Amino acid sequence: MSDAALLNVVLFLPLAGIALLVLVPARSEGTIRGVAFWVMVVQLAATALLYVHYDATVSGLQFETRIPWIPAWGVYYQIGLDGYNILLVLLTAFLGPLVVAGAFSAITKDIKLFYAMVFLIQFAMLGTFVAQDLFVFYLFWEAMLIPMFLIIGIWGGERRIYATIKFFLYTAFGSILMLAAVIYLVYSLRTTSGVTSFAFADLYRTQLPLSVQLVLLSAFGLSFAIKVPIVPFHTWLPDAHVEAPTAGSVILAGVLLKMGTYGFMKLGFPLFPDATRYLAPLFMTLAVVSIIYGACLALVQNDIKKIIAYSSISHLGYVMLGLISLDLIGIQGAIIQMVSHGLTAAGLFLMVGMIYERCHTRELSAYGGLAKLLPVYSVFFMILTLASIGLPTTSGFTGEFLVLLGAFKASWPLHVAGDSLPLVLAGSAVLGVVLGALYMLRFAQSFLFGKAKAPHEPVTDLNLREKLILAAIVVAVFALGLFPNEPLSKTELAAKEFQQRVTSVAIPGGAR
Amino acid sequence: MSWLAVLTALAPENVLLAGIIVLIGAEIFARHTRGALAIALVVVAAAAGAATLLFTSGYAATPFPGHYSIAPAGSLAKAIVLALALPVLLLSRDDFAEDGQFHILVLASLYGLCLLLSSDSFLTLFLGLEIMALPVYVLVLLAFKRPESPEAALKYLILGGTATAMFLMGISLLYGGSGTLAVSTFAAALRSSDIMATAGVTLILLAFFLKGAIVPFHAWAPDAYEGASIPVTAYMATIIKAGVLLAALRLFGTEVVSRPTDDLLAFLPLVSIVWGNLAAMRQQSFRRMIAYSSVAHAGYLFYAFLGDGAGRFQAVLFYLVAYGLLNLLAFASLPSGRDDAARDRLDNLKGLFQRSPFAALMIGMAMLSLAGIPPFPGFVAKFLIFSNVMAAGYTTYAVLGLVGSYLGIYFYLRVIQLMFMTPDAAGAPRPVFNRAALGASGLCLLAAIAVAVFPGWVMGQF
Repeated sequence: MSDAALLNVVLFLPLAGIALLVLVPARSEGTIRGVAFWVMVVQLAATALLYVHYDATVSGLQFETRIPWIPAWGVYYQIGLDGYNILLVLLTAFLGPLVVAGAFSAITKDIKLFYAMVFLIQFAMLGTFVAQDLFVFYLFWEAMLIPMFLIIGIWGGERRIYATIKFFLYTAFGSILMLAAVIYLVYSLRTTSGVTSFAFADLYRTQLPLSVQLVLLSAFGLSFAIKVPIVPFHTWLPDAHVEAPTAGSVILAGVLLKMGTYGFMKLGFPLFPDATRYLAPLFMTLAVVSIIYGACLALVQNDIKKIIAYSSISHLGYVMLGLISLDLIGIQGAIIQMVSHGLTAAGLFLMVGMIYERCHTRELSAYGGLAKLLPVYSVFFMILTLASIGLPTTSGFTGEFLVLLGAFKASWPLHVAGDSLPLVLAGSAVLGVVLGALYMLRFAQSFLFGKAKAPHEPVTDLNLREKLILAAIVVAVFALGLFPNEPLSKTELAAKEFQQRVTSVAIPGGAR
Repeated sequence: MSWLAVLTALAPENVLLAGIIVLIGAEIFARHTRGALAIALVVVAAAAGAATLLFTSGYAATPFPGHYSIAPAGSLAKAIVLALALPVLLLSRDDFAEDGQFHILVLASLYGLCLLLSSDSFLTLFLGLEIMALPVYVLVLLAFKRPESPEAALKYLILGGTATAMFLMGISLLYGGSGTLAVSTFAAALRSSDIMATAGVTLILLAFFLKGAIVPFHAWAPDAYEGASIPVTAYMATIIKAGVLLAALRLFGTEVVSRPTDDLLAFLPLVSIVWGNLAAMRQQSFRRMIAYSSVAHAGYLFYAFLGDGAGRFQAVLFYLVAYGLLNLLAFASLPSGRDDAARDRLDNLKGLFQRSPFAALMIGMAMLSLAGIPPFPGFVAKFLIFSNVMAAGYTTYAVLGLVGSYLGIYFYLRVIQLMFMTPDAAGAPRPVFNRAALGASGLCLLAAIAVAVFPGWVMGQF
């Protein structure tokens, strides 16, 4: 089998999984769970193989497939791996089996449809990452909404319908403006160069006046910003997270939120470099506001899911900060931070799900002293908490540290030149680290320590399945914290390319 | 032309005509008309097959010069519309299995549709439009399952008559100015700045807006759709709508629409998109909701006329295929209810996934496609129209139209919410689906998947 075919196998395996599920009768629940799990494991194995064979010394696409799909419009089914998406694809595949296994005991209703939807969203997410053609990208981007809509709406909590419709309408609004921008962008490419193409590689070459770039970046940016989410477009997120079943939250926090930052990295910023540099102070401000605002809100929540939901806003603010710093170290840090947040937030949401299954409440004040009641649970929880704070040796440290380093490195010369805003913002972002420690430790303190109490006592500690799920995440967290060089080497060329695309002045007389 | 050539050229129409005669004969002479559905199916399938043959062989002829001509594009449109009529006939089995009249009327209406697709003069076009529309007034009444039916039929008849009058007035103005009845007069009038020509064009356009249910001429649609029975509503929402749009396409040809007609052609459809989608949110009846949704879809379809002439045929036809298939899929999968009114209520869909997963999935797919969410065919269709509109320079209208289409997402989602996320109405029976309806949804599903996976190939045919 050729290498390119393997990537297609990885992408379409979830669809094959759905086909398999259809064949299994709805009553044999064990078989359904088994099929879902093992298909995900096979997908992870295949993705790991791709990762190992990915050549870090070559820039551009690897494992590329390019087949004409709608010839009249120049639409190609084009997929491939590059430094931008390699880690995110691996993250998605890694979380797949964990999501499935995590839902074994939590989901008891319509499980066939549930796993079909998990497969569908896995397919759409992978497709969004590997797509190298804007039309195909948009298809996957939008297709993601449907399974998530159903996952929250069918298996969610009490206010699930409100939450899921809000989620859908928020994200669809961004997408519809993006669609207009996509059409306009492709049309401008055709009028300026005579080429009708949706390929990213061609679109990067469009040269648009700054005014047009600003409008298009706003349209793309709004869509991505809603997905990230950047404050003030974040209000759908807490609702969606709180009402979603654990698996939904894990997918949402683990992968879906990265779609927004990936969109900025792969499309938004490099497609409109002049506008990006022009709006950089705005993006930077919004990133820092997200970091601090998210952290402040996380500090005052009593719903444990909401704490992690708001912490996600804060953590993804770092990703945005790293990207917009346009400094190589910052960009690299942003990529690592994406993966790191994917791991820690997924882990924490899984843990919240596990305690919720036992105690049926998400109220922080209902718990206390779990360290005595559930020692194993507490150890895992503490590790993930510290990773989320960004303690050295964990992945959180690598990401946040590199982002802040990059932000300072980029803002210092500007400060010397008389523009102190970036430096002030970078300084404020450090505050987010402190706040992060504050809210996570407050959470852990009242959760794990103090007077031992939990609803529905006696509670049982983690079973083997749960231990294995969490162990896998913890191993990944440490691997990324202790040996960041290996993944960083795979993304380095892409980070350089991104930096060069955004900082090179495309048109004479462009911004800054 | 020899008679044989005329017979060949008009093969689809002739097959339909033969079918109508056979069915009338059976209605008169046979005691029971149980075979009517089978005969109608065979006839329509044969007519569609004939049209496909004419298309693939690239047959072009002019049996009646100046009035009637056959070209591959027209044959393709005939084949598509006739093929779309097959699921309509299949899903009529519940309501009209014993009723030969239904099939006769549908075939007659289809005959008119074929006629207008080949028309070269205003006369044949008018004839086609009327032959297509008249049987539908009767069809609305034919169900007569609820007191609203006669009211709906009457409303439809009167407003349809108004449209006819406007259309005729427009034609006479154009004829008065040019002295010819050829359809190309319309394109010439679009270019002309003569007040008489503009008035004629405007009247004809408004007649199409009325027949296509564009705001503010849409008020008949919800009542007519609700008052008719499900197969008839499906027929009106898909095939009649297609007929009206294809007739308009026949007149506009590839002519670029310029001022002041383009204002009319951009503004009213935009209002339709917005209003149709907003009004659909409040409906409790499935057919009323589809009626308002069809008002919005008529808006998208007329938007296509803003675009460059070359891409117009492709955009409209592709949209009609995607829209027709998915609408029919939804109608074919509707669960049965206690009576017609109960079946029509959106509440009847509550918890449908528990009762009948297949039907719920089909309706869900249809709703998402109508909402224009990828990867369903509705998205590509919408994309095609809006990219044409934008390429023609109407960027603002394209963006506003897209935002208007966003408004529609909510009520389509509500249907999905009812089916998947709301518990069953207590004691609701498991819906029964007869094989004909299943066949109809199967046909539509396969075709929809083909369109979704190979949009490029499908477009290449147009």
